[in-house]
Amino acid sequence: MYKNTFKDDEWKRSEHMAVRENVGYYLFTHQLMEVSGPDAQRFLDWICPNNIASLKVGRDRYTTILNDEGTIIDDVVVMRMEEEKFWVSTLYATNLDDWIYFHSDDFDIDFTEITEDWHMFSIQGPNSKAVMNKLVEGGVEDLRFFANTSAVMDGIDVILNRGGFTGEKFGYEVYCTPDDADAVQDLIDAAVKELGGKEVTEFQVFAWTLPTEAGFYYMRDLNGINPLEAGLDKNINWDKDFIGKEALLRIKEEGPEREIVGFEICDENEDYYIRSRQYGGPGEPVFIEGEEEEVGRVAKLVYSYVKNVNNGYILAKKDRLHIGDHITIHGTKCVITEKNWLN
Amino acid sequence: MTKKINERIPADSGNGAGFTQYNAVQSPWNKLMSYQDALHYASRFEAVLSAAVAQVYRIIIPDYATRASEMCKEAYGRLLYTGLNYPNDDGFGIHPFMCGSYPGALIGDKGDDALLMCGRCNDFGTYRCEKELDVCDWDICCSELCRATTMSLQGQADATETRHRKGHKLDYMMVEARGCGDRHCRIIAESREKYPAPAHELWESFGPAVSDEYKKYTEEEDCVSESMMFREECNYHFVNGTNNETDSSNQMINLSTAASLYLLPAIDNAVRLGYTTEQQADWILKCVLEAAGKAMFGERYAIRACREWLGVPNSIGEDGRLLGGVMEMLMQSLLCKYEIEAFNENEVIYVIDRGGLAITGCQSLPKAHLYMWMGMVKTLVNAQWSVSEEDSPKGKMRVKIAKKIDKFM
Repeated sequence: MYKNTFKDDEWKRSEHMAVRENVGYYLFTHQLMEVSGPDAQRFLDWICPNNIASLKVGRDRYTTILNDEGTIIDDVVVMRMEEEKFWVSTLYATNLDDWIYFHSDDFDIDFTEITEDWHMFSIQGPNSKAVMNKLVEGGVEDLRFFANTSAVMDGIDVILNRGGFTGEKFGYEVYCTPDDADAVQDLIDAAVKELGGKEVTEFQVFAWTLPTEAGFYYMRDLNGINPLEAGLDKNINWDKDFIGKEALLRIKEEGPEREIVGFEICDENEDYYIRSRQYGGPGEPVFIEGEEEEVGRVAKLVYSYVKNVNNGYILAKKDRLHIGDHITIHGTKCVITEKNWLN
Repeated sequence: MTKKINERIPADSGNGAGFTQYNAVQSPWNKLMSYQDALHYASRFEAVLSAAVAQVYRIIIPDYATRASEMCKEAYGRLLYTGLNYPNDDGFGIHPFMCGSYPGALIGDKGDDALLMCGRCNDFGTYRCEKELDVCDWDICCSELCRATTMSLQGQADATETRHRKGHKLDYMMVEARGCGDRHCRIIAESREKYPAPAHELWESFGPAVSDEYKKYTEEEDCVSESMMFREECNYHFVNGTNNETDSSNQMINLSTAASLYLLPAIDNAVRLGYTTEQQADWILKCVLEAAGKAMFGERYAIRACREWLGVPNSIGEDGRLLGGVMEMLMQSLLCKYEIEAFNENEVIYVIDRGGLAITGCQSLPKAHLYMWMGMVKTLVNAQWSVSEEDSPKGKMRVKIAKKIDKFM
């Protein structure tokens, strides 16, 4: 009997629950591409399926980026910093840099990776607003979700963004220069701890358990699939042209072949052995209980500290698995669930 | 029984003769070997060469602890230096928010796949990482190598740490090793802040792990025999949760060897430290590698198998072209450029790009190959035949296979 690397780990549990019940913060610097110039908006509208034209200065928008086959090659947040200047927050900057280079011939834009110019601290949880109101001159009461603005913290110029990767109603991101990072972290650390919160240090918590509980995707989750399979079609503006649209329209007409569904392991005390795509490889095959046909593969398996269950995603054949279905994965009994454990 | 569908490797196998998308290597008699087989062949040959070089190192430093200690220090220092001076976070999917030394595990994960050391990452977190390997071609070399590879990973991990905001330091250990007879190689990296343990010497890198109770053991039936880039839906790509995709052509170019990465540098280091002289080390290397080469075809069935593998026609008898075929297959597998100056029943001459054989920049590896070939020709062909390097142009190695009488051979 081996211990469960999530369930039995009180360190991870305490960091996870700090975000859910109080406030937690962590360094979460993504890779950043800056795209600017007269055609910046038109270019981003061409490479992103979501509507960038309607994005106002100071607002952000989540979007996938597709290849010509309609397959997701990246999912990013586009932030409109100025009328002709955008930040694209990604974790595939090397690929995105090439992608922009090879698709920008007909556009008057400049682009550069600015990752090394910025650090970003994420402050998440119900009390994050109180922390930010204490730290930011003028407070953050007027800052809307997915909005960014310049601000000052104890005399230090920062950029604030309201958003996050935890599913929390209140979450903020503080961008600062590397030179200011120590001072900014000291300010955040003191304010968070004053409210009984803590620093989240575990990668598995801020990249896996918190986002998964909210139904979010992280990198490999989307590898090789299209937005219709991922359930991200609401982020597509079908009224414009974009790379991958033709293929995606065909997939839409024929219907996607796969979908991502949620699942839980039934017995929380079971010593399971289930490989998932989050560590690489194709993931464990999934079978409907009593049947022999493979209906999907395990895309992710982590733990919901809110519901106290091992939870994850399955990349399944379309319409083969429904909520409540009992399935078997490498001999372990599991059940299909909603892909969100915060409801 | 289930209806699980395993994809073909490569996926388009059976769709028609030949490989339209992927390279194959070709023997002088037009026998084609798939890209995948070629890489396995090259990896195995280099492991055998490395195992012989390991014996050289054992002769030079007889005491196990001293030998392992020197090898670990050298490997740690060199990979730390490389990591500090030639950083490549993007290539390994190491992101700015990955503070501390745990993302070093990503370097190990990707490196394992490139070396066809297949297995799986069981855990990857700030305070604990675990990787379990089912296959390791280097398991025939020596257990000192298992220790040194772990410490080279520690060096890379420690270098990674310096490129990010302060984080937690992990202690990398190989708590099981196929080179020691275990079923798996199992690397566990632990933060001593979360899993306290006394400090240890670099060479004492076999654990035990404090977090042993979290270990996930894969049963035989679930073990894999192919690297991820050759497996199922990962065909010709290496991917993991945080890495960018890397396609297998990159792996082939970068195939490294235990000899070039660890053993020959350890011998060079032993010379620097005064355990032996450069001349003595080279003499032992020549003796051991020649013997290893002779042992490869000591049995007649090995020769028959080799001829079949190369597709040698019956009309070709015992001559230097047999070894030439073996050498060409290896060089094609390693993407090492070569020109054929002569290929007939009397002599075979290759002009080989020395840099192509100096894998991972190891300048003494071309010479090590030459010593192996010197031995191999004696049993694959017969004792009348010899291999020698003659009149090499700059940056090249001109290798001649021909009959030769030498009373002091």
